[in-house]
Amino acid sequence: MLKTMNQKVSIGLVLFSIGYLYLSFNLKEYPYVPVDSDLVPKILGFLLLALSVFLFFDKSSEKEEEKAKRVVPKKEIIVMCGVGGMIFVYILLFELLGFLITTALFIISCSTFLGYRQWKTSILVSIIFPGVLYYVFNYLLQIRLPQGILPF
Amino acid sequence: MGGLDGLLQGFQVAFSIEGILFVFIGVFIGTFIGMMPGLGPISAIAIMIPITYGMEPTTALVMMAGVYYGAVFGGSTASILLNAPGISGTVATAFDGYPMAQRGEAGKALAIAAVSSFVGGTISVVLLMLFAPALAQVAVTFGPPEYFALMFMGLTAISSLSEGSTIKALISATLGFVFVTVGIDGQTGTPRFTFNNPNLLEGIDFLVIALGLFALAEVCFLIVNRKDTSLSDKANVGSTKLSKADLKEMSGPMSRQSFLGFVLGVLPGAGATIASFIGYITEKKIAKKPEEFGKGSIKGLSAPETANNAATSGAFVPLLSLGIPGSGTTAVMLGAFLVLGIQPGPLLVQDHPDIFWGIIASMYVGNIILLVLNLPLIPYISKLLKIPRPLLISLVIIFSLIGVYSVSFNIFHLYVLLFFGVIGYLMRLTSFPAAPFILAFILGGMMEQSLRQALTASNGSYMVFITEPISLALLLISVLSFAVPVIRGRLRTRQ
Amino acid sequence: MKNLSMTGLFILLLIMTACNDQTAGSVNGEWEPKGPIEIVAPAGAGGGWDTTARSVAQVMEEENIVEEDLGIVNKPGGGGAVGWAYVDRKQNNPHHMFIGSPPLVFIPLNGQSQIGYEDFTPLANMIADYAAFAVADDAKWDDLNELFEDMKENPQDITVVGTSSPGSMDHMQFVKIAKAAGVDITKIKYVSSQDGGAMTQILNGNADVFSTGVAETIEQVRAGKIKVLGITAEERLEGETLSQFETAKEQGIDATFVNWRGFFGPAGMDEGQIKYYEEAFKEVSDSEAFKEIREKYGWQEMYMTSEEYKDYLDEQNAELGELLEEMGLTE
Repeated sequence: MLKTMNQKVSIGLVLFSIGYLYLSFNLKEYPYVPVDSDLVPKILGFLLLALSVFLFFDKSSEKEEEKAKRVVPKKEIIVMCGVGGMIFVYILLFELLGFLITTALFIISCSTFLGYRQWKTSILVSIIFPGVLYYVFNYLLQIRLPQGILPF
Repeated sequence: MGGLDGLLQGFQVAFSIEGILFVFIGVFIGTFIGMMPGLGPISAIAIMIPITYGMEPTTALVMMAGVYYGAVFGGSTASILLNAPGISGTVATAFDGYPMAQRGEAGKALAIAAVSSFVGGTISVVLLMLFAPALAQVAVTFGPPEYFALMFMGLTAISSLSEGSTIKALISATLGFVFVTVGIDGQTGTPRFTFNNPNLLEGIDFLVIALGLFALAEVCFLIVNRKDTSLSDKANVGSTKLSKADLKEMSGPMSRQSFLGFVLGVLPGAGATIASFIGYITEKKIAKKPEEFGKGSIKGLSAPETANNAATSGAFVPLLSLGIPGSGTTAVMLGAFLVLGIQPGPLLVQDHPDIFWGIIASMYVGNIILLVLNLPLIPYISKLLKIPRPLLISLVIIFSLIGVYSVSFNIFHLYVLLFFGVIGYLMRLTSFPAAPFILAFILGGMMEQSLRQALTASNGSYMVFITEPISLALLLISVLSFAVPVIRGRLRTRQ
Repeated sequence: MKNLSMTGLFILLLIMTACNDQTAGSVNGEWEPKGPIEIVAPAGAGGGWDTTARSVAQVMEEENIVEEDLGIVNKPGGGGAVGWAYVDRKQNNPHHMFIGSPPLVFIPLNGQSQIGYEDFTPLANMIADYAAFAVADDAKWDDLNELFEDMKENPQDITVVGTSSPGSMDHMQFVKIAKAAGVDITKIKYVSSQDGGAMTQILNGNADVFSTGVAETIEQVRAGKIKVLGITAEERLEGETLSQFETAKEQGIDATFVNWRGFFGPAGMDEGQIKYYEEAFKEVSDSEAFKEIREKYGWQEMYMTSEEYKDYLDEQNAELGELLEEMGLTE
């Protein structure tokens, strides 16, 4: 039934707007203003709902180049998920281990994962880049990046 | 004291050896801080406040103005080279700056940005000098109904930001508006769509959205094309040469946006970000070849860069002549004044003419220094793009993450950034444009708040938007600008 | 539920302090910091909290009051809630603290934060700021009583504007004084406007009364653009322009509002630690350098020890809680 990408996206958006509307109708009331905080969200919710329905029945088929954009080799999707996972782990460890260690590890592992094999350069960059940033932020600008387990 | 005497005195301050030296230091530090992820003029000025402690007030403030200018300009570098805007004012710069850099013309793109900033900055300072007191009165006439109408006008321009499907652009804009409703509502204090998560009470920062939808989504594309080495082979990446034809193309947007950006900067609450977007949109609307916009158009890069710098000087109008800080940045600037024992207000020009005119005069100097300082550096900065792709990708990711962290200092928002990175990539795959999303996010928040402020004051009557002449005019313009192309299109198809 | 977990935490804390007596606890009631001290400003750079925290830290370092390094960390979000939740997680580490002010009382009462002032160790209050209620210079009211009389008759015609959201400071400071004057506080129209919008709305007549801090009004009053109908201090303030502002009390309205600012550590700090910080802050408060800073920003001196501060906060909590309850804004 869902032939085109537009229709799939539209179903997703319809569900999203219904959820959003549901929350809008359950906002806490504030008695001292003529127009409460739910007005704009309700308008937006219905607008999104209407637009999504339009999209579902939108006859204009996609151009070839637009379709071509979506053809991404499976292998690359796995690579992207890999990088996404690394970012996730980076955020997880960021305040625990501190900025310096996590950033160095991230640069080495991410660039290696993406096929960069010049160890000397990547190790050098992974030390110098976060080192300089950390020095500038914490000492020159007095904006604290997480120190983590290192003593400085 | 007359304005001319004052200005002469101001130039004496600005062109003294000491003056030039401190403007230079300010511009240099500002540019440097502006290039740091997430740090813009607000942080730059806040950081410099303790340093000015004990300095002579005029010198200190002249330096601060330099910091402000430098930081606004510094932010555009990362936008152009990495598609990773460090501050909100330079998001629109990435629209055409990044594609241009990807074409191998990074140096040229940065040079266009530098020249446009210079022109926008300089023209607007002339305007500031001539019309500051008069314009201050205009700024004050803008109340909630007028702001609502202005934001509405900006939003109706969304159709011009879209390529291809209008319905997708509208959906994208509605989604942008939806996400700005997350957080504590300003008019009632009601937490909306926060799911009892205290991290969401303050809402989602604009930078999180911009870095997610632009920088991280772009990272996905870089990953797919990571073996592409065409950029590192190009010899002229760093060339800053602008041909006569280039300059001619820039002249239109530069002259128009210097004025428009300045006026928008004068309005409290509008500021550099909105000016850069409106600048971009208006140029696209009147351009002969609007289809070039978004693909590395010279006009499309020049317009927002001119506008955001012009708005920067504009923001000084309410601050210097009324003592009203119209933006986060000028609020911090007000703090800098206070530390030095000076209270800006309507009487500043009488009480401290040396400071008032000294700051204005130093802006001319600051703009020149900005240009002289940055043009020679461009070839070196552009070499950044020659870094091997896998390494560059890692650095862009780190840049985005630190950018968000140094704004929010909260790990939670890093996850939100990752979320919007995924959304941004999916939007690209399904041909939903990101620019309307961003625009609606910027304008939507202010539009909703102004709407409800106006309605509270009028006890719920919608008539205020029509009875106020400025508001009515702005609303009519937006309706016409939306309707005329549609009607014209209809007529054409009929023929 | 919250109480249960608090008791649990407290027991855990007791055990931990018992085990680490040498490092974390104090010997003979004497204690000194053993590493850099982190002060959280629960807002972005440049605001009132940030400025106060930075200037106090600056005096501490310059006058060698504290030997260790002092770092200001900005943790904006939730009107301050994100910042103090962060310090709450640093229990048993006396090298962390944050700067607080009335929102620390308002926001938990509003139900926007689960953690309130009772969950921390008040160290010392440093300064006080007062509210001012201003109107355009050509407005028809000349003092608070005229304004409030008008409000009793035509509440729908008068809009109050401030920077903070409803139920927080700018709103409630006005409500508090208006209530004392006998105005029906459920009929007050309040709008919130950021980025200089509030002052603009007074100047262009979109709103009528500006509820703000005293310092924000001085220059506009000097220029003859606005007039201050009343301030919320106990007595008249000192200063060329400041001394012209009549207090609400002088006008027969028996109410005050103080925007206090002071420092708080995580729960469970012992006497030695509290004493150390109390003395350090006292020294800052008494110093010539901090006096200069206070004058620059128009702040008043208001030092309180930990004990005094705690009692003061309890009082504030009861008083403001009652007001919010009456407005139906409590959770």
